[in-house]
Amino acid sequence: MSSPKANSIVNLVDVDLAVNLGRLRLACPVLVASGTFGYAREMAGLVDLGRLGGILPKTITQNPRPGNPPPRTYETSSGMLNSIGLDNDGIESFITHSLTYLAGLGTKIIVSIAGKSQQEFVDMAARLDGLPGVDALELNISCPNVSGGVDFGTDPAMCEAVVAGVCKACSVPVITKLTPNVTDVARIARAAEAGGCDAISLINTCLGMAINWRRQRSLLGRMMGGLSGPAIKPIALRAVFQAAQSVRIPIVGIGGIATIDDVMDFLVVGATAVQIGTANFYNPTASIQLLDALPAALRELGAASVSQVVGTLIVE
Amino acid sequence: MHTSNPDPICQETVAIEEHVLLARDTYRLRLPCPSIAAKILPGQFLMLRLPGTNDPLLGRPLALYDTYRAASGQPQGVDIVYQAIGRMTRRLAGIKVGDRLEVWGPLGNGFPPTETGHLIMVAGGIGQTPFLALARHYLGLGEYGQPPLVVPRAQRVTLCYGLRTAAFMAGVDDFRRLGVDVSISTDDGSAGHRGTVIELVPPLVDASSCACRIVTCGPEKMLHATSDMAARMGLSCQVSLERPMACGIGICFSCVKKIRDPQGEWDYRRICVEGPIFNAADVEF
Repeated sequence: MSSPKANSIVNLVDVDLAVNLGRLRLACPVLVASGTFGYAREMAGLVDLGRLGGILPKTITQNPRPGNPPPRTYETSSGMLNSIGLDNDGIESFITHSLTYLAGLGTKIIVSIAGKSQQEFVDMAARLDGLPGVDALELNISCPNVSGGVDFGTDPAMCEAVVAGVCKACSVPVITKLTPNVTDVARIARAAEAGGCDAISLINTCLGMAINWRRQRSLLGRMMGGLSGPAIKPIALRAVFQAAQSVRIPIVGIGGIATIDDVMDFLVVGATAVQIGTANFYNPTASIQLLDALPAALRELGAASVSQVVGTLIVE
Repeated sequence: MHTSNPDPICQETVAIEEHVLLARDTYRLRLPCPSIAAKILPGQFLMLRLPGTNDPLLGRPLALYDTYRAASGQPQGVDIVYQAIGRMTRRLAGIKVGDRLEVWGPLGNGFPPTETGHLIMVAGGIGQTPFLALARHYLGLGEYGQPPLVVPRAQRVTLCYGLRTAAFMAGVDDFRRLGVDVSISTDDGSAGHRGTVIELVPPLVDASSCACRIVTCGPEKMLHATSDMAARMGLSCQVSLERPMACGIGICFSCVKKIRDPQGEWDYRRICVEGPIFNAADVEF
């Protein structure tokens, strides 16, 4: 007869962590967010990358972008502001220098793209479609640090059109990443769904500022930046809940996730998977720690799978 | 641009072994972390973070001051010297021996092995901290790295150390014990030469009988002036740059600096993974 401890280990092994984001099947729901994990190589010395549900490399653009002038980040209470400005070497450099490496990691690679126009989004999607290592695309229509891109995230008609354009141009699953900097996130979520994407992810950062009043200057190289970290978790949880109430497609929760309680909160309000973002900066192994803690937390709710807890919030 | 096989980085929580006031607002922390100590090179750094709090949220990059070893010679841990000036370091100043700190490293690139006759280390403010281990290495008095990184022996090592005032002078005895010549400058004349640290360098170079090489760390204006001086004098010069970092491991793209390529074009480079040591001539100040 086995001891209770042995039993619980068997139980934890039996928990089914696999989830589906539309056509994209993930071995587990813990992903790492774009812009918070480099191109994954940087993390290879710290994290067993193959265990992650998926990796979202730093957003790429059609052409190389130097990014914004420093200072690019500023720490705030329980959070940080950033105005990196999509610093990247462009899509061709990504394909040449990063994609082969990413393809060999044994996890799903969801390539984050940002275009200045609908045509750029479509062209990038078509270019990446079918390349080894491109398991899905995430449309970054929500970066607050570049002009152009965010319009797709705030105007429902433009959102639907760009999502539809991309979905037509490629055969891989498409996730649309939304901004919280809108009056009605549910409306944008419905627009993305109508455009035909497999899933939506939210939230990107909350637009914010920090200044030095004595010097009467911004503390960032650009006037405004995006707030991330534990400080924004309540906003993210609310946005995910509202989106989950409004669309049928799966939702990926992002925003200040740093503990297993955060992960469970997002699943219960309706996220099918989560992305770990800023926590990677201050706890580089956060993603694996949360993944390790997940089975026991699911068991606490008597669940044998992730899907059994998704969207189980009791609304009275 | 991307390294293909990154060295493993250790992330651990350690109990502080020593915490000593060295000078005004300036402390030395002793952290038992043998796996980091075994690998770390002079010029590399660690991220330190206060556990159990989200405020401050992020870690802070701090240079290796030196490693310390057991009687057997085995590396036991690292010493870090910091100044309590910001949100995190002021908190850090209040923690006690036995308290825990989160630490990850070694990070960045060490000083590249370079043929050196006279190594002149130009430090401003708290910029002396990366140089103690470097001096030990070039004087052949200590080993760093796994396997040990071999560097050519320097004939002479000098620290030019510039401060606002003598009260901030930290670690000078540590340098002198190794046989490093120390020249001090202060803004107010309370110790050494009254003036800038840059002014200490040309007489040293003129008096030197062997090839001089400059390494420098400190406030950016001082680095710029040192770099210009080195260029004028035709001397090799490396700078150790510092910037606020969110991660220290290359994933946040915060700590960028304009660095020129051989064609003279600049791009923003991450100080944490592509530095913190750069050839002064490549830095766009």
